[in-house]
Amino acid sequence: MTTTTLPLPATHTRRTGFREALAHEWIKFRSVRSTVWTTAATAVLPVVGAVFIAASGSLQPDDTVLGGSLTLTVVAQMLAAVVGALVASGEYSSGTIRTTFAAGPRRGTVLAAKATLVAGVMYILALASCTAAYLVGDAMLPEGRYAQGEPLPALFGIAASFAVAAVLGLAVGFLVRHSAGAVTTVIGLLLLPSLFGPLFGDAERWVAGLSPTAALEKLTQTSDAAAEAVGSLGPWPSLLLVAACTTALTLGALVLLRRRDA
Amino acid sequence: MIEATELTKRYGGRTAVDRLSFTVRPGRVTGFLGPNGAGKSTTMRLILGLDSPSAGRVTVGGKAYADLPVPLRAVGSLLDAKGVHGGRSAYHHLAGLAASNGIPRRRVAEVLDLVGLPEETARRRTKGFSLGMGQRLGIAAALIGDPEVLILDEPVNGLDTEGIRWIRGLMKSLAAEGRTVFLSSHLMSEMELTADHIVVIGQGRLIADTAMRDFIETNSRAHTLVRSPEPERLRTLLEAAGAHVRLDARGGWRVDGPDAPSIGDLARDHGVAVHELTPAHSSLEEVYTTLSRSSVEYRAEDRPQEATTTRQKETAR
Repeated sequence: MTTTTLPLPATHTRRTGFREALAHEWIKFRSVRSTVWTTAATAVLPVVGAVFIAASGSLQPDDTVLGGSLTLTVVAQMLAAVVGALVASGEYSSGTIRTTFAAGPRRGTVLAAKATLVAGVMYILALASCTAAYLVGDAMLPEGRYAQGEPLPALFGIAASFAVAAVLGLAVGFLVRHSAGAVTTVIGLLLLPSLFGPLFGDAERWVAGLSPTAALEKLTQTSDAAAEAVGSLGPWPSLLLVAACTTALTLGALVLLRRRDA
Repeated sequence: MIEATELTKRYGGRTAVDRLSFTVRPGRVTGFLGPNGAGKSTTMRLILGLDSPSAGRVTVGGKAYADLPVPLRAVGSLLDAKGVHGGRSAYHHLAGLAASNGIPRRRVAEVLDLVGLPEETARRRTKGFSLGMGQRLGIAAALIGDPEVLILDEPVNGLDTEGIRWIRGLMKSLAAEGRTVFLSSHLMSEMELTADHIVVIGQGRLIADTAMRDFIETNSRAHTLVRSPEPERLRTLLEAAGAHVRLDARGGWRVDGPDAPSIGDLARDHGVAVHELTPAHSSLEEVYTTLSRSSVEYRAEDRPQEATTTRQKETAR
């Protein structure tokens, strides 16, 4: 009898787990334009920002070289969150979520793989890009006019804040399950606290201080990160607070992900 | 082997699958029949663990889908909604699936070859694929893990006659290799040619779970087509002998009751010439239509609200 199918050898029968799910997510991530281009923009933006600020001489006298060079990181961080949102919601918009769950029915593993992927990619890219932005700004800005700021270990925290934003986006993507809705929601989460903060009077620093944007601004030591605007919490505790909130939201998304029909 | 036991799925107040129990065995092609909205796709999603049942259970090879150690090595599936990202190339779609279950990358080229998708086509984004190419990609994805069980929702959708013949041959040879093949279709004529066994559902309930041949024999009434130059005389004779005679769409009489030899003998005894005498069975299509209609009517008395919803859906379609 001739077989129509070419049988696979009986090797590779190890129970599939996190490693395989991560390999799957990595191939999906790099084979779609939307995630690739948004990720590229996230990486390029801080450097472009540093060149622009230094060339235009628009830096406030009380700002630091570090803070000034990293001005556009706030926008880049939003793009990182958008990438996270797309990695989850894109699967629902295109219908591939069913393929993904048929290949990996253990949904917690899929979520963990996606979170690891976006956090890892964003941490590495942001670290490289923000370091480059600082070096460019430092080289271009006139020597001695501005306080320098302390780039280390702040740059590691800045990169971590990108990773946190990406995971926040991912959690929102799984909760909202619709690309446009997820992107809008996560940008709102990053933007609204500082936008509506002033409406809360004295409570402004509590409201605005909750956003990952606040942690990022404190870490970049920009003059925008005044205590009365974003809270008096130090940069590292602020990062921890934001990371804790993101973790809680992600766990909430996981509970729903397991319960809901795909 | 797929085993459903009292499988039930409710969405809000609507019962899509209602205490469904059936077994799909290896080594043969099992067809899954039912009108649109009968619950075929829902049942398949339940088997794949994509939706969770409201009650009852379904297993593949004795395990719930989520407990399969290497899912794609056990079950290959093609669902109605394609599940392919239009912006991703077919090659990357398959490479991702292979990676997700630790299947070597070279398997991608093998399945592409198997379904007849050329390498350069596979490198293009799937957005521009025709329905037939998309369907071939779906089959390639289902076969990537060389699975024991295949679950295919409407696999011949959008294929040309050559493609349909190809799928039919593929399904039969997969079953002949000892695999479990479970495919749904609304094309009864296609199912009649492909399936050895059928599971029929209507409004989420089991109507039949039987061998294809038995199904047709039990449910179809045998009749005989007769043509004669003296049609009225023959009809009088037949009716006098207790036969039920109707005009057939192709001309001639469609006779229920006596079999072909008796009709021939009767005509000879009375000296009536017979130009055609053809024994015939109802096609699966007819049997199925009769069966599902009676099921809908039964349900209409049973649950007035639900039946109305289904009818509205059908009208809308």
